[in-house]
Amino acid sequence: MTLAEDRLKALFAQDEPSARDPAFSTAVMERLARRRWLQDLAFLGALSGLGGLALWAAWPVLQPALAAVSGELAPAAFGLAVALSAVAMLGGQVFHAQSAES
Amino acid sequence: MKVEGLDEMLVAAAQAGSSQAFSRLVDRHQQAVRAFLRRACGDWAMADDLAQETFLAAWPRIGRLKAGASVRAWLCGIAYRKHLTARRSAARSRVRDEAWQADSEATRDAAPADKIALDRAMAALPPDQRACVALCLAGDFSHAEAAEALDLPLGTVKSHVARGRARLFAALGVEDDAC
Repeated sequence: MTLAEDRLKALFAQDEPSARDPAFSTAVMERLARRRWLQDLAFLGALSGLGGLALWAAWPVLQPALAAVSGELAPAAFGLAVALSAVAMLGGQVFHAQSAES
Repeated sequence: MKVEGLDEMLVAAAQAGSSQAFSRLVDRHQQAVRAFLRRACGDWAMADDLAQETFLAAWPRIGRLKAGASVRAWLCGIAYRKHLTARRSAARSRVRDEAWQADSEATRDAAPADKIALDRAMAALPPDQRACVALCLAGDFSHAEAAEALDLPLGTVKSHVARGRARLFAALGVEDDAC
């Protein structure tokens, strides 16, 4: 390398950020996590919307059938709802615990 | 382990969905990407914003990165396209352009004379030439790696670097003793 190139290199070196910058990396990963969370939220929102729309479209067919069986199915439906809620809540906790460990 | 080997391992893990591996890639390549952007656009704050945008854009595209490809060249390629887009939108916004100008003037005031001359000479280079100089003269990229990053023919990169070097030396008032 020539002297002139050395001089140029030394001047360019003044623009060089540090080799390790945890603040920069953290900022990038935080923005990435936020973006993924928003994407998940948008996906779940769209899924819920589609589910609601399907239910609305099928309601004229479902409603008489549900009315006919509702008296007999009410205790079982209540039990199922409680069980699903418990699984959803505990499942979420188990998932978060596993994520924290890994 | 060799640098390329570790990069390949991290890329494979990131392609499998590991955000920890991607975070290590950010750690390892942030310096090269930010240094390139600082030299290519001259505005450090904007360069760091663009560097963040580069890594955000890289994550969903990492599956397309071929095995054995240079990660820093790939990232600098994304960074360069981000820079060109920002440049075009800046040209449309005169007010913001003037604010950048004021910022860079303020930075120059605190810098020594040689650095001011170099920054001005860099700012006067056409964008492609400036990017080639930033990668090859300042960033230790090979001509082939810069050609891959900037999506330019190898011969064009070589001539951009040679012309850019001559203009920078002229601005600094030094003679290229290699010639």
